[in-house]
Amino acid sequence: MDIEFILINGIVIACIYGLIAVAVSITWSSLGLLNLGYGFIFAFAGYGAYVTSRSLSEYPPVVLAAGVLVGAVGGVIICALIFIPLHEKPNFTVRGMVGTLAISLIGSQGLLWWFGPRNKALPEIFGRWQVEIGGTVLTSDKIGIVVCSIVMLILIVRWMRSSRRGLEIRAMMMNPHAASIVGIGIRKTGFYVMGITGAMTGLAAVLLSQTYYISPFSGITPLIKGVSIALLGGLGSVRGAVIASVILGFAESLTSTVLGGQYVLITQFLIIIAILMIRPRGIAGILDVAREQ
Amino acid sequence: MSTPRKNDDQYLWKNPLAVWGAKGGNYDVPSIRVEDPRTVWRKTTSYKAPLHKVGRFKYIHKWANHGKRLWKRQRWWPTRRSVLLIRGLYNRKTLKAEKSIVDKRPIYWAISLLALVLVPLFVPESLQFTILTAGATFGIFAAINVCWTLVIGTASIFSLATYAVVGTAAFLTAWLSINLGLPWWMLPPIGMLVGIVFGGILALPALRLDGFYYALLTLGLNELCRVYFVTSSEFGSASGGLYGASTYIGAAWAPLTQSVVSYYGAFALLVASLFLFRFIDGRRLGRILRMAPEKREAFAEATGVNYRQARVTVFLVSSVALGFIGGFYTAQYRGVAYAIFGFDTVLLGLAMLTIGGIGRVEGAVAGTLIVVVLDKVFITLGPIRHIMIGVLMLFVVLFLKNGLFGMKQQFRAWRDKKKGEWRSSRTEKGGEALPEEATEIDDKDILYRKRFDKMQREHLKTLVCEEVIEEHKNKPLGQHSEALERLLLYFRRTPQNDKYAIRRDSRGKRYKIVAFSGVRGTSPRLVEDKEYETVEEAYHGVFRRRVYDLLEA
Repeated sequence: MDIEFILINGIVIACIYGLIAVAVSITWSSLGLLNLGYGFIFAFAGYGAYVTSRSLSEYPPVVLAAGVLVGAVGGVIICALIFIPLHEKPNFTVRGMVGTLAISLIGSQGLLWWFGPRNKALPEIFGRWQVEIGGTVLTSDKIGIVVCSIVMLILIVRWMRSSRRGLEIRAMMMNPHAASIVGIGIRKTGFYVMGITGAMTGLAAVLLSQTYYISPFSGITPLIKGVSIALLGGLGSVRGAVIASVILGFAESLTSTVLGGQYVLITQFLIIIAILMIRPRGIAGILDVAREQ
Repeated sequence: MSTPRKNDDQYLWKNPLAVWGAKGGNYDVPSIRVEDPRTVWRKTTSYKAPLHKVGRFKYIHKWANHGKRLWKRQRWWPTRRSVLLIRGLYNRKTLKAEKSIVDKRPIYWAISLLALVLVPLFVPESLQFTILTAGATFGIFAAINVCWTLVIGTASIFSLATYAVVGTAAFLTAWLSINLGLPWWMLPPIGMLVGIVFGGILALPALRLDGFYYALLTLGLNELCRVYFVTSSEFGSASGGLYGASTYIGAAWAPLTQSVVSYYGAFALLVASLFLFRFIDGRRLGRILRMAPEKREAFAEATGVNYRQARVTVFLVSSVALGFIGGFYTAQYRGVAYAIFGFDTVLLGLAMLTIGGIGRVEGAVAGTLIVVVLDKVFITLGPIRHIMIGVLMLFVVLFLKNGLFGMKQQFRAWRDKKKGEWRSSRTEKGGEALPEEATEIDDKDILYRKRFDKMQREHLKTLVCEEVIEEHKNKPLGQHSEALERLLLYFRRTPQNDKYAIRRDSRGKRYKIVAFSGVRGTSPRLVEDKEYETVEEAYHGVFRRRVYDLLEA
């Protein structure tokens, strides 16, 4: 058992699932929508990248950009179909969640119908090279995954900190009602948020497809992992989600090395339940106040 | 003050008493023509708004009743629960005694369940196996969803791990049956044991977490079960599930008999789960939990309701029931597939609940029926049938507040809103009682008096003009033209409170206008400081005030 291997695997897993967790967290806190349609967006973006690589070009940045763009489009579709018509109706949270699940059902079955059940593979985006640092071999896809997701996360956090739109989103996260009173358009912000989070999911899809194949239901496991991380981090907290993704990433790589793959989810959920039993609002409940709704 | 009139409205009025040499009053004055009051009355009382028929639908039959008969009730022996809740009332129009069934749901349940019993007798030959298989699936899934409704609706714990409980119980019982050779009738009780253990584990976080945190956690636990059973060496096999358990369906029977028996077995399970629902939701625990809906727990706690204990009890009871269903599942199908833990199963289950209406048992059963028919009967359509289910689910979520069975309530709320809008658009304002407050006033004479008063004032306003005021100024007392006479008659009939009067100052011999208080012992108040030299001037002052009040009100 070597520590470096566990460490590196943990970071890679944390990066991919962290993207989805942050997306779930941002959507929940700014729109009050529990979006379980990220599984569909994930598969949708994967197929978008696949179609692009087949019909347009296999040039890696194009494939990457196609995945991100198609993911953003998927987010906008969910926003237009679920958030816009439902956000001021009674019982929005339950209906919104069920609505995103319906979109997920329609979307994944539609993909199955259109593309068939056979798995699809994306071209290698980061090439085939490796670096050795202090006796540890780092393959290209691992470095690429870590760099891409961290760059994406930093860009989004910077954008949310410094831009006008980011200010609007942060205002919505703090208090959606007051934000709408001071003139921030809920619908417009909804489109921004869903576009951005969809793009994050799309990136995660392209990155994960370096390891796994793309299939109509490939988004479900990442969705459940992302949601669990968001849950552990406390819904609505980006910092909590990042910390939780690191914790769960290490737990996953440690368990799969020491105990075996089938115990990964068990240890993860033991950790999640243990932390949630102490802090019902997750890690964010220790850091700061999470949105309650 | 007055509207301009055409010249032919004016004429010279001659006092009819003048020829008799009556004192006082004008002999002739220019005045205005007054329309025949009958024409005015007909015009104002005609109803301008389009009328629609109101009242009960004619085709709904009402049984005749007798007061004595109300006390005779059919009851479920040996309890005191009545079979049907019947209320006696009198028809407000015909004053006949009538019976009205307060709650018709038992009738609908009886009809629907009878229809389910009779289905195997009436299916066409070609579809026999498809429909019987779908019916058996429907029975089991409906039973699961009824228990799920108990968790989500009655206990308001948003758990998505229902199918995980069923699946775990089914897998463990299948494994025990295969390895220890247990007979089929032992599987459901063992499933109940599994259910209580699993339910106890699931109930622990339910006490701390609320709402969606718990929903997401259980969604993850579902995935955990799937991964564990798929990858573990004991339960894992290449056939996509664990099969080979003992079953109550004889292998030697004819295929049709097997299908029919499994159909009725699943139907019996559904009826049992409905009874469980009735005995939990309709009795003490259900009452307690209806007191403590989500976000109002603090109130319930303050009134002494131990809602946590009640919720956990309901959760555990339904977990036991789900375990039983898991054991039954194994005993029916000889085993279970991994698909029961799948995300798609949870999705379809949620679709069943949502389409019918979350928290309603009839919604759970009807939603299951719709989804199972789409899923199992139209199996040749491939992925399109799931897309259809998804579109139906999306439609329900977008347009219905609480599923198909919330439609009636939603429609009524919408209709009442529209009714109010239409009514307010045709109600004329001013003096008349609004329809909303009219229902609150018991003495309907008051309403008619108000309406008549309003109509009268509207008419009298048209009579006020310069000529009439001039006529009153010249001769306040005595015989007047018709227009002025009508105005004065109305003014004199006003009620005592705030009625104008004239007070003569005893020292200065001047006149002032006062208004009565309308209360005995309370002196009149002074209306204005203006003083009048003669009593005629004061009369005219009062008249001008009253005209002013009439036009302003």
